[in-house]
Amino acid sequence: MSGPTSPTAARTAGDIMIEADGVSRAFGSLRALDSVSLSARRGTVLGLLGHNGAGKTTLVNVLTAALPPSSGRAAVAGFDVTRAPREVRKRIGLTGQFASVDPQLSGRDNLVLLARLLGADRRSARVRADELLELFGLQGFASRRPGTYSGGLRRRLDLAASLVGHPDVIFLDEPTTGLDPSSRLNLWEIVEDLVAGGTTVLLTTQYLDEADRLADSITVLSAGAVIASGTAAELKAQVGTCTVTVTPDSAAGPAVTCAALRQAGLEPVPDRENGTVAVAVEASKDIAQVIRALDRAGIGATALSFREPSLDDVYLALAGRSAGAAS
Amino acid sequence: MTTPSIGTPNPAPPVPDPAPGPAAAVWNGSSTATQIRVLTGRSLRALVSDPGVLAFGLFQPVIILFVLTQVFTGMGKSAHFPAGVSYLDFVMPAVLVDNAVQSAVQSGIGVVDDLKNGMVARLRSLPIHPASLLVARSLANLVRAAIQIAVVIVLAVVVLGYSPKGGAGQLLASAGLAVFITWTLGWAFIAAATWLRRAEPMQNLSVIALIPLMFASSAYIPVSDLPEWLRVIAKVNPLTYAIDTARALALDLPGAGAAVPAVLISAGIAVVGGVFAVVGLRRPL
Repeated sequence: MSGPTSPTAARTAGDIMIEADGVSRAFGSLRALDSVSLSARRGTVLGLLGHNGAGKTTLVNVLTAALPPSSGRAAVAGFDVTRAPREVRKRIGLTGQFASVDPQLSGRDNLVLLARLLGADRRSARVRADELLELFGLQGFASRRPGTYSGGLRRRLDLAASLVGHPDVIFLDEPTTGLDPSSRLNLWEIVEDLVAGGTTVLLTTQYLDEADRLADSITVLSAGAVIASGTAAELKAQVGTCTVTVTPDSAAGPAVTCAALRQAGLEPVPDRENGTVAVAVEASKDIAQVIRALDRAGIGATALSFREPSLDDVYLALAGRSAGAAS
Repeated sequence: MTTPSIGTPNPAPPVPDPAPGPAAAVWNGSSTATQIRVLTGRSLRALVSDPGVLAFGLFQPVIILFVLTQVFTGMGKSAHFPAGVSYLDFVMPAVLVDNAVQSAVQSGIGVVDDLKNGMVARLRSLPIHPASLLVARSLANLVRAAIQIAVVIVLAVVVLGYSPKGGAGQLLASAGLAVFITWTLGWAFIAAATWLRRAEPMQNLSVIALIPLMFASSAYIPVSDLPEWLRVIAKVNPLTYAIDTARALALDLPGAGAAVPAVLISAGIAVVGGVFAVVGLRRPL
């Protein structure tokens, strides 16, 4: 085969790094995964969205060769998870929902231990550990035990631990659950850097904004089955609109407010119980429209909130029900 | 979506990479022997960095040694007591075996800890043999038990004037047997740990298993002094053989032949325990 691109390079560039084809997994009578198919190409982030119990972690377990599928086929980094689990494990990193580090070893010793288990000699193991400590800003904590770390630091050590072996594919199972906003942002930036460097990431999350920010494509799981997949924009288009909720002051009240907003061409939905009015808008910039309408009618508001479509909205919408969660 | 650059099989990550190339080519996994060595070192290091564990582990055999010798020496000896043997001489091997059994439980507790703190999950995602972790736990515990037994013997000799007839060589042999029992019985508790997976049932199991094992045996009084039904249990109890052997060796009495059933039963426990442990660890987390 002759051409500008060598066959090897072409194969590498287009590599499907994560692939599941009709993967099912049952625990007794419980069908934890129901014929799940998905794929991710090298250097992309696949977001796996779903509530607790949707099957996200089970799928991660299957893809990391920790749990054999009951049926179907899965391959990671080009190796079948059932037939070549050891080859898969050489090429993956896993950060679970809970930090998986030895609490009795220092941060550095944890990383050295993993490098040694992966086959590094003593010296390269130490070099690798120090690299990762530096990359994750953990040098100051290197000789301390993870028990003394904050939640954010521990998660960073855990992520560092999953990168020890230069993995091609990283699995992040709800990596930001329980993290404060700044640690969350910090972790997002680390993931973005990794992906820019060609690592493939599978990220499970309950948060749409996280998937939105990081994922190139999103697969939504519900009760073990894929109920939607596509880019963040495609999913949001299926869900529809954002919601502005107005709490008018007592002088105006919901009824008057509704009338004013209707006059401005909006479609308000009153919530009499809470004394609020919900308005569906296309995007965040449309808040101005609502404010202008209120201003023109001389209505004062004690509170105004804006909400993007949530995972709940996605679920409701995909389940074929009305997405009017605001009312 | 980022476009992977054509022609770079492993695009340089932001991580300063000392050896660029495909991930798996950097380190191609480790041998099972290395895994066991590295993981055993890890458990031993925890022992050094947390000496409290060792200290607490020592409390029980030391307390048992002192309480038993002080209390029962005053009570006088029963008819079936071996002639010319003090209660200290009699009970010392039992204290060693008791220590062995307690240490065996600790092997299981260590595995439960690893399950709880996520180390098992982490190790399962690595290209290593899952049994390496278990073997490492059992070996580290062997070292720990040996240290504890050494301390107990030194204390008995220095403080209580323990001076068994069998001499140093046979005392060492009886200590060696106790360490062997630790290791083999440890596998029963490691197996239990991989199936129970929680500390609480493990603690309960150890109490439920240990009290009858130790008391329905020749540990504290001669088997002939036990009531009939306990005597039956004591005769099938592997610890009776272990204690009889340790005692015969240390005191230079006849009966070291009990070593054969002691070693065989223990080895059997280790094999069965080992198989169940590996199967148990493979179960989904």
